[in-house]
Amino acid sequence: MANASLSDRWIEAITSSDDNVRNESIESLSHGLSAPDYLQVALDLDRFRRGAKNLYHLVRANFLISSIYRYRLPEKLSESQSGLLPHEAYEHILERRFSEAIDLLLNYQKEHGTNHAYCSALAKAYYQHGIQTLADQVRRSVKTVRGNQWMFRIAHPDDQPLRIRKELLLRDPKSLDWPILLERTSVRMDFTHSGWSDIFFLGMDFPEGARVINASVNLGVYGRDPEPKPPVEAYLRVIDKPVLRLVSTDLGVDAELTKIDEVFDFAKDYLGLLKAACIASGLVPPGMEGCGRPMSELLAVLMQNAGSQASGLGLEIVSKVNDIPKGSRLAVSTNLLGCLIGVLMRATGQVKDIQGGLDVLDQRLITARAILGEWLGGSGGGWQDSGGIWQGIKRIEGQLASQEDPEYGISRGRLLPKHTLLTKDAFPESSRRALEESLILIYGGMAQNVGPILEMVTEKYLTRGEKEWDARQETIEIYQQIIDALCAGDIRKLASLTTRNFVGPLQTIIPWCTNRFTEAIIEQCAKKWGSQYWGFLMLGGMSGGGMGFFFDPAIRKEARDWLLETLVATKRSMQDRLPFAMDPVVYEFQINDRGSWAELLEADFARMPESYYAILAPRLVRGNIRDLSEQSKRDLERLNQACSEDLHRAGRLLQRILPQGNSKVDHQQSLQSKLQENGFDIQEHQQIQSEILSGRISLATNRLAINVDIADVEPADYIELRDSRTQVKSEDCSEAIRAIRDSQVGVITLAAGVGSRWTTGAGVVKGLHPFCRFQGKHRSFLEVHLAKSTKTCHEFNASIPHIIATGYLTHTPIQEFLETNNHFSYPSKVYLSRGMSVGLRTIPTVRDLVFHWEESSHQVLDEQQQKVRQSAQASLQKWAHSAGEASDYTDNLPEQCMHPVGHWYEFPSMLRNGTLRQVLQDFPKLKYLLLHNIDSVGTNIDPVCLEHHMRSGAALSFEVIGRRIEDRGGGLARVDGKVRLLEGMAMPTEKAEFKLTFYNTLTTWIDIDRVLAAFGLDRKSLESPALVDSAVRKMAARLPTYLTIKDVKKRWGLGQEDVYPVAQFEKLWGDMSSISEVACRFMAVDSKRGQQLKDPAQLDGWLRDGSADFVEKLCHWNNS
Amino acid sequence: MMKIRKAVVTAAGPDQGGMLLQNLVDRDGREKTVIEMIVEEIDSAGIDSIAIVINPETKDAYRSAAGNYKDRLTFVSQAAHGPGYGQAILSCQDYVGQEPFLHMVGDHLCFSKGAKRCAAQLVEVASQHGCSISAVQATRESQLPFFGTVGGVRLPEFDRLFEIKRVIEKPTPTIAEQELLTAGLRSGNYLCFFGLHVLMPSIFGYLADAIAQKKRPIPLTSALEATLSRQRYLAYEIDGYRYNLGVKFGLLNSQLALGLSGVDRDRVLTQLIDVLSLHR
Repeated sequence: MANASLSDRWIEAITSSDDNVRNESIESLSHGLSAPDYLQVALDLDRFRRGAKNLYHLVRANFLISSIYRYRLPEKLSESQSGLLPHEAYEHILERRFSEAIDLLLNYQKEHGTNHAYCSALAKAYYQHGIQTLADQVRRSVKTVRGNQWMFRIAHPDDQPLRIRKELLLRDPKSLDWPILLERTSVRMDFTHSGWSDIFFLGMDFPEGARVINASVNLGVYGRDPEPKPPVEAYLRVIDKPVLRLVSTDLGVDAELTKIDEVFDFAKDYLGLLKAACIASGLVPPGMEGCGRPMSELLAVLMQNAGSQASGLGLEIVSKVNDIPKGSRLAVSTNLLGCLIGVLMRATGQVKDIQGGLDVLDQRLITARAILGEWLGGSGGGWQDSGGIWQGIKRIEGQLASQEDPEYGISRGRLLPKHTLLTKDAFPESSRRALEESLILIYGGMAQNVGPILEMVTEKYLTRGEKEWDARQETIEIYQQIIDALCAGDIRKLASLTTRNFVGPLQTIIPWCTNRFTEAIIEQCAKKWGSQYWGFLMLGGMSGGGMGFFFDPAIRKEARDWLLETLVATKRSMQDRLPFAMDPVVYEFQINDRGSWAELLEADFARMPESYYAILAPRLVRGNIRDLSEQSKRDLERLNQACSEDLHRAGRLLQRILPQGNSKVDHQQSLQSKLQENGFDIQEHQQIQSEILSGRISLATNRLAINVDIADVEPADYIELRDSRTQVKSEDCSEAIRAIRDSQVGVITLAAGVGSRWTTGAGVVKGLHPFCRFQGKHRSFLEVHLAKSTKTCHEFNASIPHIIATGYLTHTPIQEFLETNNHFSYPSKVYLSRGMSVGLRTIPTVRDLVFHWEESSHQVLDEQQQKVRQSAQASLQKWAHSAGEASDYTDNLPEQCMHPVGHWYEFPSMLRNGTLRQVLQDFPKLKYLLLHNIDSVGTNIDPVCLEHHMRSGAALSFEVIGRRIEDRGGGLARVDGKVRLLEGMAMPTEKAEFKLTFYNTLTTWIDIDRVLAAFGLDRKSLESPALVDSAVRKMAARLPTYLTIKDVKKRWGLGQEDVYPVAQFEKLWGDMSSISEVACRFMAVDSKRGQQLKDPAQLDGWLRDGSADFVEKLCHWNNS
Repeated sequence: MMKIRKAVVTAAGPDQGGMLLQNLVDRDGREKTVIEMIVEEIDSAGIDSIAIVINPETKDAYRSAAGNYKDRLTFVSQAAHGPGYGQAILSCQDYVGQEPFLHMVGDHLCFSKGAKRCAAQLVEVASQHGCSISAVQATRESQLPFFGTVGGVRLPEFDRLFEIKRVIEKPTPTIAEQELLTAGLRSGNYLCFFGLHVLMPSIFGYLADAIAQKKRPIPLTSALEATLSRQRYLAYEIDGYRYNLGVKFGLLNSQLALGLSGVDRDRVLTQLIDVLSLHR
């Protein structure tokens, strides 16, 4: 039992006004605590949390408790302290009822004592509760900013107090056209990086540390654009149709909204950003959501300055991004949002001047509205992101909340920071020139999700993680030095500071902010240019997208060409391993001195951008000209004139209007040949398609009947190997050691998968993903597995064949990768076993989609994000319906249309493709194989496990681990009395899984001869393909086929990505345990050995809880 | 105590054509033109000299509509200074001379809640305080596009009286929320002009300056802003209502308000119910 003063120390660390006490690290607070101490502190903090009035007291208490349950308490528990997670608590968490989940879990813990399952669930619930509380507060603060509040009160079109300015309603007397208001905005760049301190939460917690140097920059793509210009533009004009017409020229989409509610349907099309701008600007105030009124009513009020003409008028808003790719880390989206909001606020008189620049108050207001818009659109950003609206270079710094601020008494800092422009005196022209002559900005092309990183930073800062907090202090110190170097024009110094920032504190705080690609480019820069390469600058949340490289101005031009070539070549060499959205580009940039700027285009100058006509003109031309409105006819006349002046433009337009050559035929041929090459069975495919359509195969039929009895296993049903490692003596596993030394054991790594979850369907080879740094170098999953086998070879002086089972997408990249790296000097032989089966994905049925979304549990998102998700789901249902349910999915790259057919096929593939026969020839004594998933990085040839497998006489021994909250997807069960593994998809209800203590790791010890016998084969019959084929088919017929829904990415445009849920089928290895004549055993092993890395967001916890160290100790690196 | 003897009514706006000539039935059940009602309102404040700024072509029509009051009215033509609300007031400079005066817009009708009429309330307070003062009414933000709006602080020792800090013509709700919040009002409500002001003669100088500077039609608020920075300027929350005749159904609403607050209330209600039953 902890004494009161122990918990008091933790509470004081939250509440104290003394910085030293408040900033005491969690490590220091935890020093010397036992499991009961931690439990007591967690309970006391929970009690404190419940009474806390101050937001930050509440949030910090949540994060501290979460950290105790995630990292500190579990390491004091024994591995066998596993338990069952109450399903109700899990549901509460998914439904975001975090308080209820916490109450329930604490009651269970009180009744049954703590265990790993409760700890993992409590950690998650407290953490999510903390994040939710912060997000709610940002939302409240955005709403309470003066100038924003009214929008939440206006709920009916007649109450709309805004009017379109008269200047926009004055038609040109000659052409009769309305003028066009054009806003041009730059994007922002951050020199200091700031250690992610521009996250709203952090600025509100520790405003003293929230500081950045933010520059507005104009951009051009090197080699394409003649000169840099503001990359973001928004056009607005009155139209002669009472609709709100939105056009995104960069995404090539447009829509005419006739109902107010359509504006709130964000994910229906690609116009979410424009819609968010309409709402955040007050044109369609957020209070009108769900009002059910026609758009024409609102427009009639907005257009009242047009007098009697008002009722027939509408508004057109057009966005244009000058071909800057998505993910540039220059906050293109936020600045486009700001630009759109700016043009709308000018048009409605909320900004004083209709033309020219913006004053500080206007900029501040647009910034606040952009934050609101981001929240509405379900995205997030930092408070510096709309920096492109402002001019020049400025310091943006967090502010302590004062009595006048709505945040006062709630958080230490204000939501919105203070902007201070660096004047010419502070940042002279010479310094600017020096900067522009040295820095090269690039876009690396990687597609990444920075969301998890921002959450990690928030949690680490708010719990005052020791090394992270120290690193943060260092970034604050570097910040001032960066300002000094920048102002003095000492770019070399600046470069060394930004490099120091990246290599030191930033990677200390978030090791995942760098990656193999970035490191490779930096290495090449240093190698090629030596001292003339000055340094590196990371932009945004993580590297790989927007980045900066400083060079000696004397070689900048030469370096720029070289850098572009090097980037593209490096990307090409890594594109199988890392998710890239497009080829890298080099930018030309220039600091923008005037900020967002507007012009009124009148008379003949009132033209939309060319890309606008490319979208709308084909449609206008296809229709009957007589039916067009006068304004549309004039648009076409103007276009005609422009085309006659520029024949290239005419050509480009014609290309859009006329039918194109059928490239689909080539695509189909390529897909067909790839399918054939990889053993596609068309008859089986068509059979499955018809069964999907008829409903015989569906997500619902994956499940076992409800009357099947599912029960948890008894201690006698499994071999307990947890907590045993330290007590085992070598003589206890002498048989196993002898077998290892005698080359009786080999390894199979399953590497056919493309990591759907790992890269949300980007289609890269997961096995080759350099996911973590070991011994100073990013290493891939495959390298880790080979390093573990290498260590086993060395340790036992053994020769261990290592087989890598590949698939259609992974075989060639893995082969090339291993050859390039000389198989990492693996001391024995490496074999590749190419998958012999492939499937063709199909469009899901609406029934399965609905089942997938409604029947399976999903994490409910934050309120606004959930709305966006629901809107997207409605669109996907329409897509499935119109594309043809259960029809072939062919509208993507061939590799993305095909799918591996499940890991059950990997072992049979080894039989069919002759790999096992070859291995047995090379290693005739081979008797046992360790089969494991690519992401089970903690597994290895462990003599203890092997010994038990050998002694048991089983054909297959499966390793299982105690379930934690993240372990979903099946487990070890007694199914109608038979002990077997049961896949999550086959559970009669989701709840059934929560009765099972153990989760399946898939790691399997195989007795080769016994398994062959189960197939009806022996070593000799492996030489007969016909026998093997027949045996495999026979076994396959006895195993269930599961229909699954997987996300697949389709890339288009400049770095744009769509994710589609597609249907595929698979057979799974764990179902071998259901075959009666296959003798199976089950071993409970430590979680560090059995856990799987499914999602990059797991990595940070995995590193922090010691799992990465555990893996490192299993490896021997041959330094290649 | 300041004495207010003159009143100026503006009725020359392009949207105001004929509005003062309309007939309505007043609270006592008597049919009157709008101009007669306005004159009666001003009369109640003890002012006997009234100027109406009109388009010269409409003079005869106004004279006829003024009925018994026609000989008390001075008609001023706006033509000299060009179009604009500010210009309309400036055209009365000679008529007003160096005296404070009551200004009333010609497209509003006002009704007091109590016995003392609106103009009388304002003139009384202005006389006590000896400074410019505008009648205001707490108004919902959806009406902001129609009114000049002030932000200020309540004077604790006086009921309904405010020291004005900002005045903005037809502000957007965004600006209103940032600049014009007045403590004590319900959320989303602002102090908007009532169409009644007591102004000092210095206003003419400010108007002339503003017109010379901007060279276009200007609202009165341009000069009121100048007043604010140079003199004491108050707002008085009138105990009454105003109806804008210039908006859609403005005249109908005014008539309903008159009918339902006067002797014919039951009759008007009965007729309303009849109409409702016929047009379901």
